[in-house]
Amino acid sequence: MRSPHITRRTLLAGSAVLAAPSIVRAQAAAEIEFYFPVAVGGPITKIVDSYVADFMKENPAIKVKAVYAGSYTDTLTKAVTATKAGKGPQMAVVLSTDTFSLIDDDLIVPFDTLATTAEDKAWLASFYPAFLRNGLIGGHTWGIPFQRSTIVCYYNKDIFKAAGLDPEHAPDTWDQLTETMLKTTKRDGANTSIWGLEIPGDGFTYWLYQALAIQAGVELANAEGTKVFFNEPGCVDALQYWLDMSMKHKTHPQGIVAWGTAPRDFLEGKAAMIWHTTGNLTNIRTNAKFNFGVAQLPAMKRRGSPTGGGNFYLFKGASPAQQQASLTFMKWMTTPARAAQWGIDTGYVATRPDAWQTEAMKQYMAGFPAAAVARDQLQVAVPELSTHDNQRVAQSLTDELQAALTGSKAAKAALDDAQVKATRLLKPYAG
Amino acid sequence: MTRKLEITGAWLLGFIWVMPLLYAVWTAFHPAEFATHFSLTAPLTLKNIESAWAAAPFARYFLNTTILVTLILVAQFTVCTPAAFAFARMNFPGRDIVFAIVLMQLMVMPDILLVANYRTMARLDLVDTILAIALPYLGSAFGIFLLRQTFRQVPQELDDAARLEGCSLAARIWRVYVPLARPTYLAYGLVSVSYHWNNFLWPLVITNSVTTRPVTVGLSVFASTDQGIDWSIITAATILTSAPLLVAFLLFQRQFVQSFMRAGIR
Repeated sequence: MRSPHITRRTLLAGSAVLAAPSIVRAQAAAEIEFYFPVAVGGPITKIVDSYVADFMKENPAIKVKAVYAGSYTDTLTKAVTATKAGKGPQMAVVLSTDTFSLIDDDLIVPFDTLATTAEDKAWLASFYPAFLRNGLIGGHTWGIPFQRSTIVCYYNKDIFKAAGLDPEHAPDTWDQLTETMLKTTKRDGANTSIWGLEIPGDGFTYWLYQALAIQAGVELANAEGTKVFFNEPGCVDALQYWLDMSMKHKTHPQGIVAWGTAPRDFLEGKAAMIWHTTGNLTNIRTNAKFNFGVAQLPAMKRRGSPTGGGNFYLFKGASPAQQQASLTFMKWMTTPARAAQWGIDTGYVATRPDAWQTEAMKQYMAGFPAAAVARDQLQVAVPELSTHDNQRVAQSLTDELQAALTGSKAAKAALDDAQVKATRLLKPYAG
Repeated sequence: MTRKLEITGAWLLGFIWVMPLLYAVWTAFHPAEFATHFSLTAPLTLKNIESAWAAAPFARYFLNTTILVTLILVAQFTVCTPAAFAFARMNFPGRDIVFAIVLMQLMVMPDILLVANYRTMARLDLVDTILAIALPYLGSAFGIFLLRQTFRQVPQELDDAARLEGCSLAARIWRVYVPLARPTYLAYGLVSVSYHWNNFLWPLVITNSVTTRPVTVGLSVFASTDQGIDWSIITAATILTSAPLLVAFLLFQRQFVQSFMRAGIR
């Protein structure tokens, strides 16, 4: 338990740090805590634990405590409650899309106010712009990309071959996709033994849908996060295409495919293709008993996928010493070598271009070229839907999308309703 | 005819209710390949249970939950009994107003107090302790209300007789009121234990480490979906965490149902 005395001491140390040269800074003791959205007991916990241990060995003056908090939503709930009560973590990894909400609640500190040296500025600029964009608001950098992903298409090469398709080539356009779905879907009478494609429709419905919308040439929100464009004609086309997959072509399961079961269906050979996060790459690589490929998502008007995943945020309430210590820790966690290792270990996308030039990454890619697909897709990636009051705005879209997917509303009507709901939520921010 | 219909309906509802449980049992005791294949000849295995047990410190989570529910139950009984007796049988100025204030607590959703409670715990330096999970629940308006209603139904003659025999106030509560209210205690205890066994949001927010997390939070942080799901392990963990309550229910089913009937709550 931290006593008030220690807080005061770290505060004093903090004010000394600002004036002191870096050698002295290394001796000032600081204790930092960060919330991490990951399953306890899963492989990632062990990876993060080992990173933290290594970091403390190299920086004996800083004590880091990692708190594993499960899902992104649970982590956010914990971090927000604790910070509002005045005892929050110094850092947390939460969704990149929650930036607006965290700023609106006055809970986080922008990095550019702390990272002011030339070296620090170079560090801030070293990440992929596509990953930084969700955290760039009002001219400040609020989030450091860490656990980042995009959507890719996993496909079963064996099923492709059996259907007479080129197993080295996934569909490039929606037309090709339709054709591929029709060819790979396999029916035994009334039952379908192989579905052409599965796109998960729960949990992150709006995220998967955003990929279709991007491909249809529309963006779902403006950069200020004050306006959404859910019922543009392109959006309706995108949703209609998703609905056609199941209702017209019968190549996608009816209703809602579960986020958690799509990878299992793929691994069991019940789906020829699935769209899923790159965060699943390692899982699929370990468990697939057939040849599989990873491909960029196809294009209608353009190619594209939203980015996804979590950023590092710096929470208010940290003392200056703790802020500096947190910054040191984040820099350490995002060096090219470690970003590369993190990508290799988890399947998340290494967040900076120079990470892909490291030896370890080059070797990994030589053995497993599919790993580079997500990186190449970053050229056409679009920031994930992020607005003020993001959780509720995204939820209003998700609810209506699910209503359409289950057949209780038509595409246009559902998106109109989502637009109305979201606009009402965003009214206070429209200004 | 209507009776037959009722029985069929009951079986149908029961079956729908038990389906997820049956699925969990099936998946937990079969290899992962059979997670979505139903085949009677599928090999049985305990490996999922083993790996779930090994993957997360469930033993510790159980211990935490047990400490938590015991602590809460004991404290609630100790606090609610004298309070309920005072409201039921003692006359003091402002009694009804105080009782109304206690009842108002029933109208407040605990979730609203999340931040306020957290702030209190932070001030007491109790964040990330089992006591912090329990503290907001130690006094229970529901418990006081329930016991008060029961105590009021205890015949005054019994109380008077005990007093004539020379019983002190505490002895009268202990020897007359508490024994007669046993079904209420049992029913309330069950409600309290199952509520706190299942409680999630507050324990999630206030705990940070393995040594304090109860099973619900442990299970939730175990089964995060971002990385793809291994249903076998997750169902195994679910069976593990819910088994004690399920077994207790099956063993004491009759007492459960009767106590609820007698106490008039569900």
